[in-house]
Amino acid sequence: MYNLQRFILKHHFVILFILLEVISILLLARSQNFHRNSLVNTSNVVVGKIYEWSSDVGNYFRLNTANEQLAEENAMLRQQLSIVYDTASCVYDVNEGDTLYEYIPAKVVNNSTNQANNYIIINKGARDGIERDMSVISTDGIVGVVTDVSRHYASIMSLLHSKSVVGVRFKNNQEIASVKWQTNNYRYGIVEDIPTHIVLQQGDTILTSSHSKIFPEDLMVGTVEEFYPTAVDALNKAKIRYATDFSTLRHVYVIKDLHKAETDSLKAKFQ
Amino acid sequence: MNKTVLQIIRFVVLVLFQVLVINHIRLGGYVHPYIYMLFIMLLPFNTPKWQLLVLGFALGLTVDLFTGTPGLHAGATTLMAFCRPSIIQLISGNQKFENIPEPNLGQLDGMWFFRYVLCLVFVHHFALFFLESFSFRLIGQVLLRILLSVPVSVFLIMMILYIFKRERKRE
Repeated sequence: MYNLQRFILKHHFVILFILLEVISILLLARSQNFHRNSLVNTSNVVVGKIYEWSSDVGNYFRLNTANEQLAEENAMLRQQLSIVYDTASCVYDVNEGDTLYEYIPAKVVNNSTNQANNYIIINKGARDGIERDMSVISTDGIVGVVTDVSRHYASIMSLLHSKSVVGVRFKNNQEIASVKWQTNNYRYGIVEDIPTHIVLQQGDTILTSSHSKIFPEDLMVGTVEEFYPTAVDALNKAKIRYATDFSTLRHVYVIKDLHKAETDSLKAKFQ
Repeated sequence: MNKTVLQIIRFVVLVLFQVLVINHIRLGGYVHPYIYMLFIMLLPFNTPKWQLLVLGFALGLTVDLFTGTPGLHAGATTLMAFCRPSIIQLISGNQKFENIPEPNLGQLDGMWFFRYVLCLVFVHHFALFFLESFSFRLIGQVLLRILLSVPVSVFLIMMILYIFKRERKRE
């Protein structure tokens, strides 16, 4: 016993070092899961508040651009609404209240683009009806998936995450594929599973597919920036430019699928 | 001013400066400077070794809470704190710091300080970027990140030290 005591006293520096490193690595290993642990969640209130103060200061200087963006979006929505009323008013009753999705507007309080795994924190949480696995979009395109919710805040796994995979389809030919992120540039993603008979042009539009478990169908993902045909592999690759500019992200919408429980229970029957 | 109060203020200011300002600076995909470790570098020479480790861990974990990466900065900063005593011994040789309470630019020459900062920043970034990738798969990319980020971090830290140099002499 005395020897053990002496050993610990003599090597306390190294022992403490190993202990702290093991704790760090365990924490890190746990956080590699898609759903993160509650340690971050509990601190979200303090951290979220500090980020919110900081972004409030920054937002004050960007009010002009934010207003312009919202006005533009408003105009676009009005235009779409008029088309719907024109073509569908005789067939569907638009006022039935049978909407598929509810859009919850939220403000970005913190966002990073330069890590290997980027997360976004927004100022809406469980209190506002936000739940895990909801999809998040901006005015321009898709943004990410809600991974953690506290009472007032939620964190979103951004598309700029090494584990992010989005099921997409090409607008021109309905072919489906998946978009991943290459951890070095926040503007570009990559599609690695394009069948050989498909040839893409620069600027081709990429939308979310109906096979995506998270995103509703037909949301804007991005456009093709460069197409890489391969002779050896069975699959072509393409570099894509995200429609969302993650560096200037301020306002986002969280999409609540109102029929989720219904579709989930149907899917469960097949599995 | 009381030394402990000064340390606490330094801790808070460096963490906030890191997460609210530095983390939002984009210098291409590979350059990610970090300056918050300056807190550990400026601790007094006679700080007990176990305190270095605990403070390093606490500092890293605080940054982790902001970046949403539990364990990442904590691990890297703990390693850096662990290496601090050996690095001080390595770069100063027979030099003794009996009448210098803590590392500061006023009493130690710039070259000593530059080597001190460079070694510690390198240890920190090396651990950080490898832990971040959590594998040796992307080794080329990780090494590039380290090589490009270390000079920027060292430059920023030296700049902060020179800006606050005069103030510390007055105390």
